[in-house]
Formats: sequence, C-alpha cells, structure tokens
Amino acid sequence: MSNHGHGGKPGPTALASDTSARERAGAIPVPMLARLLSPEFRPFLIFIVALGGLTLVDGGEGRILSSVTAFSTLQYFSTFGLVALGLGLTMVIGEFDLSVSGVFGLGGCVAVLYGNESIWLGIACALGVGIAFGMAQGFIVTRFGIGSVPVTLGGLLTANGLAYVVTQNRTVSFDNIDLALLLNESIATFFSIRSLVAIAFFVISIFVFFSTRIGRDLTATGSNRRAALVSGVGVGRIIVCSFAFSATMSALGGALLSFSLASASPAGLADVLVPAIIASILGGISLAGGMGNPLGLAAGVVTLSLLRSGLNALAAPPYANDVASALILFAVAIADAPYLLRRFTAATAWLHRN
Amino acid sequence: MVGVSSSAARTLWLRLKAPSRLLVVRVAIMLALAALALATPSFLSAPSLTTLLTTISFVGCLAIAMTFVTIGGNVMSFALGATAAVSAMVFVVVLNTAGYASGVAAALVAGAVITGLQGCLIGFLRANPIIVSIAASVLIYGVAQRVTSNETVHVSETLIQSLLKGKLFGAPIEFIVFLGLTAFGQAVLSFTTFGRNLFYIGSGFRAAEAVGLPTVRTTILAYVWAGLFAGVTGVLLASRYNQANMEFALRYDYDAIAAVLVGGIAIQGGSGSMLRTFAGVAAVSTIQIVLLLHGFREEWRLFITGLIVLAVVVLYSKRQRQ
Repeated sequence: MSNHGHGGKPGPTALASDTSARERAGAIPVPMLARLLSPEFRPFLIFIVALGGLTLVDGGEGRILSSVTAFSTLQYFSTFGLVALGLGLTMVIGEFDLSVSGVFGLGGCVAVLYGNESIWLGIACALGVGIAFGMAQGFIVTRFGIGSVPVTLGGLLTANGLAYVVTQNRTVSFDNIDLALLLNESIATFFSIRSLVAIAFFVISIFVFFSTRIGRDLTATGSNRRAALVSGVGVGRIIVCSFAFSATMSALGGALLSFSLASASPAGLADVLVPAIIASILGGISLAGGMGNPLGLAAGVVTLSLLRSGLNALAAPPYANDVASALILFAVAIADAPYLLRRFTAATAWLHRN
Repeated sequence: MVGVSSSAARTLWLRLKAPSRLLVVRVAIMLALAALALATPSFLSAPSLTTLLTTISFVGCLAIAMTFVTIGGNVMSFALGATAAVSAMVFVVVLNTAGYASGVAAALVAGAVITGLQGCLIGFLRANPIIVSIAASVLIYGVAQRVTSNETVHVSETLIQSLLKGKLFGAPIEFIVFLGLTAFGQAVLSFTTFGRNLFYIGSGFRAAEAVGLPTVRTTILAYVWAGLFAGVTGVLLASRYNQANMEFALRYDYDAIAAVLVGGIAIQGGSGSMLRTFAGVAAVSTIQIVLLLHGFREEWRLFITGLIVLAVVVLYSKRQRQ
C-alpha cells in the first residue's frame, strides 16, 4: 500500500494490488465497519465476540452474565494482568521477555519469605529483585546487542533456579492468613484489593502511554529501531526500562498471588507465560513489534480472564482451557504469519487456472 | 622468563585465526571440565557415572532434535519434551499389544507427525516458531489430559525382561544410542543435500529463497527429523522406567535448550553441528554432576545452569561483534 502515491511508474504488481484494493474497498463500504475492524479496536471486538459466544453457550442460565463470573474474571485479571502488561510492553518494542514466568515465581517466593516479617518488606524485596533482574537482562540485550530470546531464556532458567535456591526446594507458607483473605475479599461486588492493584497499574500505564512521549518512543523503537535512533529516541534506555518494568510487574504479580494463596513454591507458579502471551496477542500486540498499547492489552487480559472464568462457570472439563488457549495461539500464529497472504494468493491463482 | 614465555604465547595467540582461537578456548574449557570432574572423588565410581550417562542421554537426544530446529533458523521448540512424552506413551501402548518393533515404529511416527505438522505451519506460512511450539505443547498437554486422564501407562510384566536396558561395552544402552544419534545427525547435516540447504536457509532465509532452494520442504523435513529424535527419546525413557506419562519429559525441554546454547549453536541459525551440541550436553551435565558431588544441593543445579547459559550467550555475541 505504501507504494501508492509515490508517483513512480506502476509496475504490473502495483496495478494488480491496486485493483484488489479497489475490490476490497467495495466490499467494505461503510467507514464505521472499517473502524470496527481497525487494529486498535480489534481487542474490544474479540472481547465482545467471546462474551457473546460464552453467553450463547450458556443458553440463558445466567452463568456468564453474573456478578460471580465478573468477580472471578477480575481475579484472573489480577493474576495474569501484571505479567501480561510487562510482557506486552516488551513485545511492543519488538523484544520478547521469556523470563516473566521465572521472575513471577521468584517474586512470589521472595515476597513470602520476607513477608512473614512485614508484608511491605516482602513486597519491597520482590520489587527489588524484579527491578534488578530486569535491568540486568535489558543491559545485556543493549550492551552486547544480543536478541532478547536467548538472553531471557537464560534469565528464565536463572530466575527459576534462584527461586529453588532461596526456598531450598520446598513450599514456603505465608502466616498472615488474615491478609491473604483480605486481598481476595470482594469490594463493591466486583473487585478485590488484588484486582484493584492490577487495574491501578493498567490505568497508570494507559495514562503514561497516551499522554507522554514514552508511548510514542516505545512504538517507534518497536516499529523501526534505526529510524527511532536517528530521530533521537533513547532506544537503549527504552529497552532497559522495558525489561525492568516487565520483570518488576511480573515479580509484583507473583508476590500478590502468593500472598493471596498464603504460600509459594518454586515450581507452582510457573504457568503464567502462556496466558500472558495469549493476553498480549488478544490485546492487539503484534509479534513483530511496533503495535499495540496498554488499553488494548487490558481488553486482551479481560478476554483471556473471561474465557477462563466463563469455561469454569459453564463447568467445562479442565482440558477445555488448554485446548482453547492452544487454538487461539495457533490462530494468531497463522494470522500473523508473513507468508499467509502470499500462499493464499498463490492458492487462489492455482484454483483459477484449473 | 615468565615474561618471555607469556609474550611468546601472546604472539602465537595473535597469529591464530579467530576460528582456531575459539577452538583453543573450547578445548581448554573441555579439558578444565574434565580435570575438575576427575579431581572430584567418586566421579568415576560406576554408579555415579552410569546415572550420569543415562540422564545426559535423554537430554542429549532431545538436544540433538533441538539442533535441527535451531540451525534451520527457527530458534527453539518448546514442544519437544511434550512430544517425547507422547511418543513414550504411544510406545508403551503399542508395545503391550503389538510388540517391540511396532512400538518403536509407532513412537517414531507419532513424534514425526506431531512435530512435522508444526514444521508445515512454520515452513509454509513462516509462522512464528516460538508461538507455534508453545501452542503445540499446550495442545499436546490438553489433548493428553483428555485421552489419558493424567494416568500412567505401564509396560506389561511379561515384556519387561525383553526391553533394551542393558549395558554395552560398560556404558548404558541409552548412551550408546545417544552417541549413535549424534553421529547419525551429524551425517545428515554434513552429507545430505537437506543438511546443506538447512544451513543456507538458517543463515539467510530470503537469500535461500531467492536462489530457489526448497525452503518449505527443508524446514518441514528439519521438524520431521526433530520429531523422530524426540520419538527416540520417548522410547528410551519408557524402556528405562517401564512406564510412561505426560510428566516424563517436563524438565528436559529447558535442559536441552541450555545444552544447545552452551554448545555454541548460533541462536539466529545457520551454523552449528551435532558435535557442538554433544559438547554442550557433556559440559552442562558434567558441571551439574560435579556440583552435586561437591555437596551443592539439587536446587543450585538450575540456577548455575542458567548463569552458564547467560555467560555463553554473552561470550558468543562478543565474538561475533569482533
């Protein structure tokens, strides 16, 4: 599309894409519809479709559109939201933080270990570990110019190992049961302290992303790093800060979940990477970087959480969630695949010829 | 005297070309590790060494499988452990009804099909390999939960004696299989057109496509090979433990990834060899066992492996920048 309006001689391919563009424009006549299908709106559209689908399956028994399901959706939101927020923002800048699940577990273990003295000390330690870990990873990525996948893979193993080391390979329990109950107690029917914390971080992130230059710089870093560098974006600083933010959010998420479960074990908390990836992708963040924002991400996390709580409410078997998650991931991997359009065009051309 | 010899060594060092310098470093590290291992009391005593060789063979076979994926430019697969577990279960079920040969064949086919289908998505559509493999592993665990209801399948009593689990030349049979697979995998990479194409495609997909290499077929084939090797891992696991369940290969994925990275296989693809993966497996396992024998508790294993992976990743990138 970017070739149009360059005024150069249109080659045969340009002509072909021109006609197909016109045809496509004919198929979608209403600008309203175009706006509904725009990438910014897609996370909300997916949410509406998921909600509608679950309600249909429910068949008017009121299991989905209930305050119980809304509350448990927000509880899932608080478990996965912070991790997804961190991971999602590293994906916006075109990197990928595989270490989130390791740091999530580590944060939970550290918080419980020190939280028995004082809850604030526990949270401070978890946050400190998160910041240090994330900054170290970000520093390695920028200083040595290595891809974030191998670095955070090493980070994942290290964080996971560190969680085993600090807990000495056992489950540590949190003695303050009152606090655990308080964190999950419902406030105004729908919320809990835990979900309010996650929502607060999302609100702050949305505000910062849209009303300061940080949001623009993140997107620029992710869409074209060289151009961003040339136009004066502190790319190195953005990368280090994103990894620090990602690890800090993961550690905080792990700390809050462990407090509310009143225990932490190095092996028990590992299962957040897949939900966080799904939430980010549902939230309109592209694997290639340079796309997405915290608002869409919030919608993505809500959709993921709704699917979990909805399937529970419908008494779906436990594997339904795995299968649904896998199918969503496959669908996104295929939809985002760079050669999809090319193969599709080739296939239709082949069909026309025969 | 010291000054003279060190400056002579320095001159010699500078005269070496970069690849041979790296070779010196590698050999030095391997020798140091071997010395460390030999200096550890009880390292060479039979039980510890046999256990070591058996465990590293499982991780090793999976790492060999992983190497096909990495060299072809598709980073890593997070589904090979799950694939090995499925293969192990298929092997046990078929073994109980139709005998050993059919069991092995079914396990290999299961591995090749599961991984090959992922290869189709990645090769044909260029879908993101990390996401595809994570999705596949989630799907495998979900479907397996439905099919097996989290149960373990056991090899029936009458067949246990006939399973391959003896020793050959004093080494456990798993280790012999691992050595064989390393040699076989290396031969596939070195002496076939597929192997040569895989290196080209891994080092530059667009260029490989532009000169008309069969990118789709090669990528799918790389995944089929990876699946076959994961299938072998499953057969070995099930034969050793006389049973199979989905928890089997849970931790082998990350160990295999660590071994591939420590072996110095470039994560962006296009270079590496099975021998390097073998060295990586040997290095990681030796360090882990030495730590264990020196009285470090089990939990330090993961932590130190992680640090080693980070160190190797940084060291290799430094070399590439030079």
